[in-house]
Amino acid sequence: MFSCKEEGEYHSITDKIEAEQKPYHGKLTSEELLADTQLIKITEGEHIFLIPERKGQIKSFACIECHSKPLAQMRGLDGKKAHWDIKLNHANSETMNCATCHNPDDMNNLKTLTGQNVDLNLSYKVCAQCHSSQFEDWKGGAHGKKVAGWTPPRASMTCVNCHNPHSPSFETRWPVQFNTQKAIERKDDLDH
Amino acid sequence: MSDNKKWYTLDLGLNKKEETSGSCGCGKSQGSCNSHKEEEKEEEISHEEFYEAAINASIGEERSKDGFEQVFDVKMDRRTAFKKLTASLLIGAGAISSCTSVVNADSKEKAQIDWEEQFKGNYKLMIDEEKQGTVDRLMRSYELRTGKNISMTSENAEEDVLFGYAFNISKCQGYMNCVSACVEENNQDRNSEMQYIRIHEMKDGEGFKFDKADDNYYHEVPKEDHFYMGTQCFHCDNPPCVEVCPVQATWKEDDGLVVIDYDWCVGCRYCMAACPYDGRRFNWSKPEVPENEINKNQHYLGNRMRKKGVMEKCTFCVQRTRKGKNPACVEACPTGARIFGNLLDPNSTIRWVLENKKVFRLKEDLGTDPKFWYFMD
Amino acid sequence: MGVFKILKSLVIDSLDTITKGSVKYHIWMGVLTLVMLIGMYCYSIQLDQGLSVTGMSDRVSWGLYISNFTFLVGVAAAAVMLVMPTYVLKDIDFKQAVLIGEGLAVAALIMCLAFVVADMGGPSVLWHMIPGIGVFNFPNSMLTWDVIVLNGYLFINISIPFYILFRHYQGKEAKKKIYVPGAVLSVFWAVGIHLVTAFLYQGLQARPFWNNALLGPRFLASAFAAGPALIILVLAVIRSFTAFKIPDKTIKKIAMIVTVAAQINLIMLVSELFKEFYAPTHHSESAYYLFFGLHGKDALLPWIWTAIPLNVLATIILTFGKFRNNLKILYTCCFFLFVAIWIEKGFGLIVPGFIPGPYGKIVEYLPTGIEVGVTIGIWALGAFVFTILAKTAIGIELGELRYEKKKSSTL
Repeated sequence: MFSCKEEGEYHSITDKIEAEQKPYHGKLTSEELLADTQLIKITEGEHIFLIPERKGQIKSFACIECHSKPLAQMRGLDGKKAHWDIKLNHANSETMNCATCHNPDDMNNLKTLTGQNVDLNLSYKVCAQCHSSQFEDWKGGAHGKKVAGWTPPRASMTCVNCHNPHSPSFETRWPVQFNTQKAIERKDDLDH
Repeated sequence: MSDNKKWYTLDLGLNKKEETSGSCGCGKSQGSCNSHKEEEKEEEISHEEFYEAAINASIGEERSKDGFEQVFDVKMDRRTAFKKLTASLLIGAGAISSCTSVVNADSKEKAQIDWEEQFKGNYKLMIDEEKQGTVDRLMRSYELRTGKNISMTSENAEEDVLFGYAFNISKCQGYMNCVSACVEENNQDRNSEMQYIRIHEMKDGEGFKFDKADDNYYHEVPKEDHFYMGTQCFHCDNPPCVEVCPVQATWKEDDGLVVIDYDWCVGCRYCMAACPYDGRRFNWSKPEVPENEINKNQHYLGNRMRKKGVMEKCTFCVQRTRKGKNPACVEACPTGARIFGNLLDPNSTIRWVLENKKVFRLKEDLGTDPKFWYFMD
Repeated sequence: MGVFKILKSLVIDSLDTITKGSVKYHIWMGVLTLVMLIGMYCYSIQLDQGLSVTGMSDRVSWGLYISNFTFLVGVAAAAVMLVMPTYVLKDIDFKQAVLIGEGLAVAALIMCLAFVVADMGGPSVLWHMIPGIGVFNFPNSMLTWDVIVLNGYLFINISIPFYILFRHYQGKEAKKKIYVPGAVLSVFWAVGIHLVTAFLYQGLQARPFWNNALLGPRFLASAFAAGPALIILVLAVIRSFTAFKIPDKTIKKIAMIVTVAAQINLIMLVSELFKEFYAPTHHSESAYYLFFGLHGKDALLPWIWTAIPLNVLATIILTFGKFRNNLKILYTCCFFLFVAIWIEKGFGLIVPGFIPGPYGKIVEYLPTGIEVGVTIGIWALGAFVFTILAKTAIGIELGELRYEKKKSSTL
């Protein structure tokens, strides 16, 4: 009864949502906000949305400019080791190495566990093989971030926009804020 | 202007000025103005002096303060209130007979704006034209005082939009980027370090023990065996703060945002006592933001400059969200713990979260119906 | 025409009365004026710098001002305890005390309004609250109800005594047909003002300490103890400083009211304490903070542990007729009770409502010097107003001020 005092019509916010819902086609869109971003439309099950294009962002693409031969044939040659700075910190070394995701026979592409080629723009398909629950959440929009605003069209960041695929977990760091006034007000210890 | 205006107008002759073609604002045609110049000169000066004195009496020391203070902090105690009343009569009398000169047009305009702002109506009840009027005055006023421009808008709620928010407690790492982004976006007072968002650091296995949680930690995060939970204004669908406001200075907009008209608030802080979520903040002294840090993209109901003695709160960044953007906290979050969107759109991601994740809200037993849900992976 | 002439004469006469008096009277008024000036100075600082000069914060957002406001509403409401028997039940003993009681109500209401204004962040836009010009959120906001009932009560309490005094000033009897309906109305109204003020807090689901059905009734009980207690003290002062005759019988009857109200108040206190401490829940934390301190924060302990013993002691002593009828003991008990309830209904009620905060955070509250200055200033204002009202009323009642008398003397 209390919650009906003002609204009159609805008992709760869920009732209201149910009664008034309707796909949004209003004047607000994210088109303008997305204008500067290269996007790719993907379809995953019932979800259709945009993700940022990736290959254009990778400085040393295309990979075959160096990796001119399949990896097996290049191995053992002397010369400067490329990607020396990449330390793989993803699962453990028994589970994963470079070739778990990169196709050693076609360096411009990633690969699935069964050896199917995956375009670098669609790298989420590689991640989704193991991280299935995250994938489900991401498709729905519960995991990850939007590229621009809340308005349609939906453009979501893909896995590698936030996670470094070679070391996907977030690092510990210091918070960007400390409220000194709050500490004084509560007479807390200032040196935490 | 419409006939049923909701504020009281003081006409200093500025409106007339626009109709005349000449640069002289005396309201006469150019030729006759020049021809009468000699005769009128003496009288004109006395008018100006009278004018200046009257305005000084009415607004007093406000005018001598630095620009910024004047616009946003028109103070009045009982003493000056009385002075103002008498002085306003003087101005009224002066306005009829006076002949505007170009030299003091600016100060007159300032006085006119101050007057109209002091006695304008409640934003909630204004028609669009009046909303535009007050926004224009505030922008012009800022320009007159500081010589700089701000952009302020007054967009109304969009149709078929109801804003909602979801917070993933298993994702938040306690970096507090949201808090910083919020302070910068919303021009919050730097002196008192006002913040709308609080991030509570809670121990795993203890449940939601807010009283044991630390919302002002400073150590490397995420801390082992801890999780983080953010709170801010939840924009309740049945907001107790709105119920209790004696002057309807705070209300729920059609898109679900609970907003405040800073100029209508009387500062009784009843809403603050009524809020079960610590969602409201009060300006105990004059809020200050360094000029170079001011966010100049403003909305009347959002991040425009506040004055002392009024309430303020999170508006889901109305200045951004009504243009289709996400709130600053959502954009700043590095972990994607914050989901924002349109609850009425069945295709929105927020709706997917509500329908597919195990969501809950805080203090649901109070019947406030917040539009801010928590969920876990 | 004639009425205005009499009115003019009354104003002149009363001005004459209040500016003349003994040396003690002048010292009293002088001190009050000085304190008021100090209060105004403190208030001007608060106006200039904002409410940050007070001890209040986002956590404890109401403090000394609202505490005093709440208490004084009770004092104002208590005037009805005297009005009821006199006008309605025709109990003659109270008649002289009534004018004093209603004068006290007027002074208390003026203080209430002053405290509310002092607490406002934007006193310059208070016109937003005036119905018609501003926007009045009626009936949703209990604060608007409070504004209505307080001002209405002020009006009633000014007009009834004014009518009676105005008639007496002319040497005529006041017509019962005119003032009795007003008096009856004021009886209900007095209960209304205190109940509405209690609802102000009681209606907040955010504050479990206040959101409790006993709050309103307890407000009434404590008010009907503290208000008449103050009236007894004031009557005692008037008795010893003026020629105004107040029989012992009157004071003893008021003492009876004080006793019963204090007893009921104590029963309710026990009930509240039982609920909070027998089966404590999360919602009992405010009570724990108030009585025992929480997480090492215990600023209110000295206050509440002064109030509770005083309250219990005074109530027990008053219960025994032998002690109650001894005027010295009675005055002491009334003073104890007044102080105890001032603490309990002020500090002990408003501040712990905010502690701990909605998320369990504790920020303690202690008023600053400026806050105390403004508060004392407003109390001085109340005393000043009351003195003026009482002096005029006593003058008229004693027959020193008479329209006819003056006319004949000037002729």
